[in-house]
Amino acid sequence: MKAVKYIIALVVIVVVAYNSIYFKKLDEVKAAATAKEFNAAQYAQDFWNNELIPNLNKAVDLSQLSSMLSADANRAFDNYSHALGIGNLRYFLVSGKGIVAVVNDDDMVVTLRDDTTTFVRTIATEFIFGNAVRDATGLININEFKNTMDFNNVSAELNRIIREKVLPQFKPVIKKGDAITFTGAIEMNKAHPDLSHIEIVPIDVKIVPR
Amino acid sequence: MKRLAAIKNVFAATALICLVFSSSCQSDAANDGKKKVAVIVSTLNNPWFVVLAQTAAAKAQLLGYETKIFDSQNNTALEADNFENAIASGYNAILFNPTDADGSVTNVLKAKAAGVPVFCMDREVNSTEAATSQILSDNYSGCVALGKYFVEAMNKKGNYVEILGLVGDNNTWNRSKGFHSVVDVYPGLKMVAQQSADFDRNKAMDVLESILQAHPDINAVFCGNDAMASGAYQALVAAGKANDVKVFGFDGSEDVVNAIKEKKIVATGMQFPKVMAETAAEYADEYFKGKKDFPQKMPVAVELVTQQNVDDYTGYGKKEGNK
Repeated sequence: MKAVKYIIALVVIVVVAYNSIYFKKLDEVKAAATAKEFNAAQYAQDFWNNELIPNLNKAVDLSQLSSMLSADANRAFDNYSHALGIGNLRYFLVSGKGIVAVVNDDDMVVTLRDDTTTFVRTIATEFIFGNAVRDATGLININEFKNTMDFNNVSAELNRIIREKVLPQFKPVIKKGDAITFTGAIEMNKAHPDLSHIEIVPIDVKIVPR
Repeated sequence: MKRLAAIKNVFAATALICLVFSSSCQSDAANDGKKKVAVIVSTLNNPWFVVLAQTAAAKAQLLGYETKIFDSQNNTALEADNFENAIASGYNAILFNPTDADGSVTNVLKAKAAGVPVFCMDREVNSTEAATSQILSDNYSGCVALGKYFVEAMNKKGNYVEILGLVGDNNTWNRSKGFHSVVDVYPGLKMVAQQSADFDRNKAMDVLESILQAHPDINAVFCGNDAMASGAYQALVAAGKANDVKVFGFDGSEDVVNAIKEKKIVATGMQFPKVMAETAAEYADEYFKGKKDFPQKMPVAVELVTQQNVDDYTGYGKKEGNK
């Protein structure tokens, strides 16, 4: 009888021990942990393809926006600007048609069609940084992010797409006198909007027949 | 006999339930008066945090709440006492400026367990499950703007020094990362030294003086706050290089705003402590009124202040008439 008891006890111990210990490949565990981390590059690419590009037709005409900002800045900000955070920095999704007046190393000056002002509008071709493209549509909700660096990295990745995919399409060939259509994002300070010089971060620029 | 005992038990249980409910009703009735908001701040030995704490308390009072400021004196143990006092004294919400991103998490969790919402201001805690919301300067984006201006001002080339703040502080690295996300794209800009001066003016002066011995040919200094920018400028004056080396700061202190006007310092990132403090008080008010879905991290925009737009600004904010 004792022998039977010992055998049963041994079997129980073996079964418990077997079910208490699991072996997994370290690579698989690491891969699972990485998979849970926020992938800013993937998020930015999905946002670009599925949210930003399909909504470019919602951009406000820059000439009209300039007139609205001159006439009633608060209304223009309330109706057309967005920002992920709080504060004075707000962002607009803008579009327009114009003629390239000057091509500089870091930007190009554009004369807008239907623009009655003498203000300078430039399209950035070198310094593509900041949150303008991430925030301008108002389609990204801050509650999607738990960590500050996640939404910072989304901006960095969107700007990388512009540097790698958008700029090469027009920067090497653009010249003074070309007619263009463009869509892009601009940053403006709500407390003291500076209309004298507006810099556009390009999302889409096309050279069109004059 | 058994039936009698059962009836007695039912009576006893009913009495107990009534007692619990009546005491809970009494406590609700007591709270129906004025709700109380505690402001727990890392230190009141620094004007920045005094502005933060006083603004938060003033805004909460304006919204109709009783307030008290607790000073943690940069000590996490004292901060823990402050939390315990605030919870035991029946404060309904805590507007909180942490002393330590890691060390303060347990205090916030204690308040959460007691049902007291915590709203962090200016400094974050390293947990996304503890505070109800964290209202923070967008240090990274502010330094992206500063980095872009730095590259333009340096014409994409030159040697520079970076003076960091406290190496254990998240803000130090968010600022540094934002700056480098732009500047490192340009290989003509070479960082010849990177050293911490703990956000301290005198330490920054000493640090830059010793760096200048090894690297007399620098063209710029980027500092993680304005106190260190002022110290760096003093070191450059002493070395006779103030006109040759461009200094960049971060904070928007009155000293540096004036130094930008006098063309001693090139630029800074303007933070808005009052906006952070007022937003925290407003969030507490909204929480009491039933809102529960707050963003875990709410960035407050940092504005680039240069010699071109400095007239729009004063220390830690915009001039009267501006928001």
